[in-house]
Amino acid sequence: MKIIRNDNLCYACKTCQLICSFHHTNTFWPERSSIIVSRNPQDGTIKWFKNASCDQCINEKEPLCVKYCIYGALQLVKEVKEYD
Amino acid sequence: MIERRDIKGCLAGKILRVDLSNKKIWAEDTEKYAKKTLGGRGINSLIMINEIAPQVKWYDPENLLCFGVGSLVGTMAPGACRVDVSTINVFSGGKGSANVGGFWGAELKYAGYDNIIIIGKSEKAVYLYINDNHIEIREANFIWGKTIFETEKILQQKLGDNDIKIASIGPAGENRVRGSAIIIDTARAAGGSGVGCVMGDKRLKAIVVRGHGKIEVAEPERFMKAVEKCYRQCKNEPNTKMMHKAPLNLYSDPEWEGWNTNIVVKNGQDDQWEKVNRIRLMNFKTGVPNLQKGVRACYSCPTGCMPYMEINKGKYKGNKGEGFWINTIMGHACRFNISDPESVVESWLLTNELGLDGDYVAAGLSWIFELYEKGMINQKDTDGLELTWGNGDALNKLIKKLAYREGFGDFLADGMAEVAKKIGQNSEYYLIQVKGQPSIEPFRIPKGWALAVSTSPVAGRHLRGATMGSNKYGPKPRPGNFGVTDYQNQAKGVVWQGKTKELEDNLGICNYVGTWSGANFLTIADFTELINAGMGLDLTEEDLMNHYAVIGRNLEKAFNTLHTGMSRKDDLPPKRFQEEEVKSGPYKGYKIEENKYNKMLDEFYELWGWDKKTGMQTRTGLENLGLIDIAEKIEKQGKLIDK
Repeated sequence: MKIIRNDNLCYACKTCQLICSFHHTNTFWPERSSIIVSRNPQDGTIKWFKNASCDQCINEKEPLCVKYCIYGALQLVKEVKEYD
Repeated sequence: MIERRDIKGCLAGKILRVDLSNKKIWAEDTEKYAKKTLGGRGINSLIMINEIAPQVKWYDPENLLCFGVGSLVGTMAPGACRVDVSTINVFSGGKGSANVGGFWGAELKYAGYDNIIIIGKSEKAVYLYINDNHIEIREANFIWGKTIFETEKILQQKLGDNDIKIASIGPAGENRVRGSAIIIDTARAAGGSGVGCVMGDKRLKAIVVRGHGKIEVAEPERFMKAVEKCYRQCKNEPNTKMMHKAPLNLYSDPEWEGWNTNIVVKNGQDDQWEKVNRIRLMNFKTGVPNLQKGVRACYSCPTGCMPYMEINKGKYKGNKGEGFWINTIMGHACRFNISDPESVVESWLLTNELGLDGDYVAAGLSWIFELYEKGMINQKDTDGLELTWGNGDALNKLIKKLAYREGFGDFLADGMAEVAKKIGQNSEYYLIQVKGQPSIEPFRIPKGWALAVSTSPVAGRHLRGATMGSNKYGPKPRPGNFGVTDYQNQAKGVVWQGKTKELEDNLGICNYVGTWSGANFLTIADFTELINAGMGLDLTEEDLMNHYAVIGRNLEKAFNTLHTGMSRKDDLPPKRFQEEEVKSGPYKGYKIEENKYNKMLDEFYELWGWDKKTGMQTRTGLENLGLIDIAEKIEKQGKLIDK
């Protein structure tokens, strides 16, 4: 399974970054999140990164970033492996 | 009396103090202030009333410029992103306060600070740099004179970090144009009260923040349960979808009820805008919605109400940025009778970019347009501009003149009340203002709205108790009467909404996600649980609504009492709306009826526990709140009602 993001639905509220940090630290600590959201309000672009520390919230029913994305931009989907 | 327990979470812990005259920086603990007020605006108000002497004016170095981040900001509490900016109001001389969302507030808390209190004045242009504990007052010549967009870009490049958060002023604030805003994250404005003018007067161009720390909550599991419940409510609330693009969704329907109840046209000549204009401005194919390229949310917000606009044709083609709001329609369109979508979007972008307050621009300059129509000023005065209704290009040129104090703009920049004195000819009658601040608000039709705006301690703005005035929107149940044009029982709704707003500003919860717009976003019960679980307190809904909310309002009112001669006479709506009727539409013939308004005002004072005759605070009322020292200060000035 993998987490995918639809750029068109993302409002750049950074809730995913925040809840992810809570998952890792039990505090609200965006610097310790697996997700970094960077938004440029001038040109309207949003950059979204997820690093290797993401464990897809192994102890939860679903990844918390997906659960709390009220705009439906994040989804958990089956990973399709491509073979030559 | 409330038991004041130690606060165990949510706060960053420190208040940053900055003296610009002596270039000193120090910090103190937040807790003693937060125990009394819960945080945010409450702390700003408390510090202002304790530390600013009554004779101090907005332009004195002793005036404080206070930034207060709400106590829940930085956590997952939905919509917790708001910052209160308080200072002496440049229009009324009393309490000034403006509230703003975005990302700056949370960043400040991650840097370790709940509030910033700035005293003094710098001789040279400076900016404040905060990177956790590394704090400096730095020279700002390289950004002085720059627009908001330019300032942010240059600072990001110079500091090599695109994720710094910036609160800055534009040319308007630098030039001490009275209606100047402080702009956060490019397009979010702390607009009212002239807060940007005060920042410019202190020669402070920007506050740059980067924080790497954390916010802890007292009981993490319990707190997240409360958050989860709130998110579920927001997700299931039918109004959430509508609020995602509120101004565009609601007003794109030319039959929407708000068009009939919330609009003031041509500086108050009517309260009804022709349908042909509504359709031209807001239709989906060629109107403003067609210029929207996306939507952006503030930090941790489930509502997401801010459109990202890009102008795709005409002379303003290519201009873009966040921001288009209901106030844009009420102000930059209807008040000037401008229905050209590109022009209206441009004027809003320009207002932000130059660091002006949108409401001030709309209310102040539409008055100037009316004076032009009435022949009190002419093209010779306006540097050749034809200030005729519907002329968007002229408005955009005038906005620039105002911000840069160019020619006629300089004549306008010291405030519209001053302009009225210079022009004379009964021009003041046409200026829609409350307590000295120009106001875009509707008065003649929505009576609860009129009451809230007229009584607002921060002068003529609706965010001290205005109700939606509709059964369709707003939380249920709530007290009061929501027949929009009725006078009866409106005071109950206005006081209830005023109290919830006090709490929201202390907690930093956006009014939209809080108790204002949707039927079931966050409730007072949710606030209570978030506070108790987050801060480790044991408060009841009753404690919040009948103690903390009441303290907040009384602090602002007491500041006005101590610093100005304000009383009941200043809580009345503009004279024009008591004399001139609405000319067309379903509410044709409506105006404010003085007797009925006064009855509503009586009830409003009674509910707040103030003296009906004078509108002033009483000894018992203040003492019951534990504000004995403030009662004594008011008594010394002979303004305390001995009841």
